Amino acid sequence: MQRILQNPLALTGLCFIGVILLLALLAPLIAPYDPDAIQVKQILVAPSAEHWMGTDGLGRDVWSRMLFGGRVSLLVGLVAVGISTVIGVILGALAGYYRGWVDTAIMRLVDIMLSIPSFFLILAVIAFLSPSITNVMIVIGLTSWMSVTRLVRAEFLSLTQREFVTASTALGAQDWRVIFKHCLPNSLTPVLVSVVLGIASAVLLESGLSFLGLGVQPPQASWGNILTDGKEYIQFAWWLSLYPGLAILITVLGYNLLGEGLRDVFDPRSHTR
Amino acid sequence: MTNQPLSGMHNIRTKRHVSTGQRFAVGVLSSCLIACGSDQPDKNIPALNQTYPAQPGGTMISAMPSDPSSMIGMVAGESASLAIGAYLFNSVLKYDQNLDLTGELAESWQVADDKKTITFRLKPGLQWADGKPLTSADILFTWQLITDENTHSPYASDYQLVTKAEAPDARTFIVHYSQPFAPALESWASLQVLPKHKLAGQDIRTTSFAQKPLSSHYYQLKEWRHGEYIKLEKNPKSVLGPANIDHLIERIIPDPAAQFLELMADNIDSMNMDPITYARIIPSRPALQARLNQYKELGNSYTYLGFNLKRKPFDDVRIRKAINYAIDKQEIIDGVYLGLGITIASPYKPGTRWSNPQLTPYPFDPTKAKQLLAEAGYQDSDGDGIVERNGKKLSFEVLTNLGNKQREKTAVIIQRRLKEVGIETHIRTLEWASLLTNFIKPGDFDAVVMGWGLGLDPDQYTIWHSSQQKPGQFNFIGYNNPAVDKLLEQGRLEFDPEKRMQIYHDFAKVLYDDSPLVYLSAGYGLTAIHKRIQGIMNPVPPAGVGYDSQKWYVPEPLRRTQIQAE
Repeated sequence: MQRILQNPLALTGLCFIGVILLLALLAPLIAPYDPDAIQVKQILVAPSAEHWMGTDGLGRDVWSRMLFGGRVSLLVGLVAVGISTVIGVILGALAGYYRGWVDTAIMRLVDIMLSIPSFFLILAVIAFLSPSITNVMIVIGLTSWMSVTRLVRAEFLSLTQREFVTASTALGAQDWRVIFKHCLPNSLTPVLVSVVLGIASAVLLESGLSFLGLGVQPPQASWGNILTDGKEYIQFAWWLSLYPGLAILITVLGYNLLGEGLRDVFDPRSHTR
Repeated sequence: MTNQPLSGMHNIRTKRHVSTGQRFAVGVLSSCLIACGSDQPDKNIPALNQTYPAQPGGTMISAMPSDPSSMIGMVAGESASLAIGAYLFNSVLKYDQNLDLTGELAESWQVADDKKTITFRLKPGLQWADGKPLTSADILFTWQLITDENTHSPYASDYQLVTKAEAPDARTFIVHYSQPFAPALESWASLQVLPKHKLAGQDIRTTSFAQKPLSSHYYQLKEWRHGEYIKLEKNPKSVLGPANIDHLIERIIPDPAAQFLELMADNIDSMNMDPITYARIIPSRPALQARLNQYKELGNSYTYLGFNLKRKPFDDVRIRKAINYAIDKQEIIDGVYLGLGITIASPYKPGTRWSNPQLTPYPFDPTKAKQLLAEAGYQDSDGDGIVERNGKKLSFEVLTNLGNKQREKTAVIIQRRLKEVGIETHIRTLEWASLLTNFIKPGDFDAVVMGWGLGLDPDQYTIWHSSQQKPGQFNFIGYNNPAVDKLLEQGRLEFDPEKRMQIYHDFAKVLYDDSPLVYLSAGYGLTAIHKRIQGIMNPVPPAGVGYDSQKWYVPEPLRRTQIQAE
């Protein structure tokens, strides 16, 4: 922990994410307006003391929508990555521990999945399933587990050669015990880095899908669909494009910086005391 | 609608892709130079506000959202090809500035006493642009073509009611109906007459005529670069006399924002605007506003929330009325159309003869809505804010087409208001083709936010008659009311305008009481035209700003200096 805080990259990332997370979590407390409250007399008002980030095409307060939209973006990021991590870790562990045909099957599956352009796969699946926040989370999760699988498998391949694993096998430990007690905890460090980077790309994916109208459905706000609404008015209502864009930028940058920072911290080769 | 190239019909679908018009900009390079100067006051620029005498010559450049697939609009069935076709082909009849029927190719016409036969007498000396005479044989040929099963014309149905058509001599055209058909005359005002000597014996679906048409109207096709522009040239042999402006260029610019940028750069002279552009963007740019004339006219179309009447709970009139009372239409007009629309109470353009003046739109009355829901047995018994009956929540899905921001916003406002009376809605936006094919045609939907664009004749048989419910037909909401069926049938038989008016007023009243859909608003068509285009009728006649556009002219001092890229 100490080392993380000393790493400037990780620290900056952590600060960015911390602020965004805090705002999103406290959204119901700090949002000055109901994010869905329509005020047709207050359409496209420029940022002012009353509306910090102005109002959108239906007179809804953009600052409140940004706060609630942040919840959506972060929720999608966390849940989607949660799903992909669980799948990735399990498949990676199986492949790395049992090797042989299990390994071949899983790795070929990974190759197949990697060969499909994931954004277009997600688009197709969502269009087929009907767009909703749940579907977006699940589909992103189900299509982004491959890198975790590869990482965990690589770790397992080397861990299973280590003495303490051989010892526990020799002592008669069951497979699950070896996998979960001995190998998994020792392979999680690189997974952590990949999870953090994964959240960044999931947030970006969700924004992209919502921007295309295939993500979060109205009236619920998400940064992506605030951006879409803004596109129509970009000629004069800059606030509708700028703020969600900045929010996505800061969040993705935050997670990427944290991820890079963690990698530096955990990588023994780049370790300088 | 032949004379309304600029009429404010809403584009049901807005395709978005990058404009390919950039290359074309080279062709009108000099106009760029003029445009750059015009943002600062410049003494060399002639006064735009001065009125000049009419003179022939010049070029007008307009923007069009989509490229027609063919110039034969009667077969292609797209608004883009009909709009271009209106410059090229004549109709037998047309509407005058007050929307009364008058002759175009016809000099006079007679409806027989039994109302089953119409005899048209054509004007003398009509000819095609190639000098060949235009006769009743061409009209007969066009009628045969449109009604031919193999042509698959979407407009065939009206013409198929003609049991027999004949052309006894070059200037007489006679049509027979098996029973009186009041919209008949309107149908002869929308048939674009095609040349028999060019098309006879050709396969209409593949003929090269669709790309290289021979015209009889004010203009003829000079050059067509697909996806870029269509260049029309004055037809000196026009049957109605020559137009003033030499060249009309229709640039294909699908994205309204890109159209607007071209308008700002003075690369186009006219475009249709959305309310935001009209009410907010242009007023914020005085230099641009100073060189534009802006027109606002009520379109012949409306937006609605339609219910699938075959599904529960929409078979219950109390639910439909409750929803009608729960929606604040003025809020939608203010919020979505920035006030550029009006509420309506009948499916006709307000102020016209057919619109029933006794009906007033359902007021916004949530209390009444809740009361009606309670009467229908819906109560919020579990306290979640949504009413239910027998444990089933009153919840439905509202579909609309993706990319139509105005409809999406309308749906959001509706959702909010319905929630306040305890009705839960989910909004789903779908790509236009998918919405039609997968949901509307099979009748697989709860409710839709869509629009109807209407003709000038009050006949709405295809939309409301119970026989019009097959997949692909227009009564997809499943409206079935014997009283309405009867009125619609009567309306088609009645030629007397006063009696006809009464029939359609009664029809609107039944619809009003039945509330099979919620009329949301009738929007204004908004058009911007550069002040260099003069001779536009002022005030705008009922037929619209585009009426008599052949009389428009571009005064010499205001013309763009053109460098031809050829």
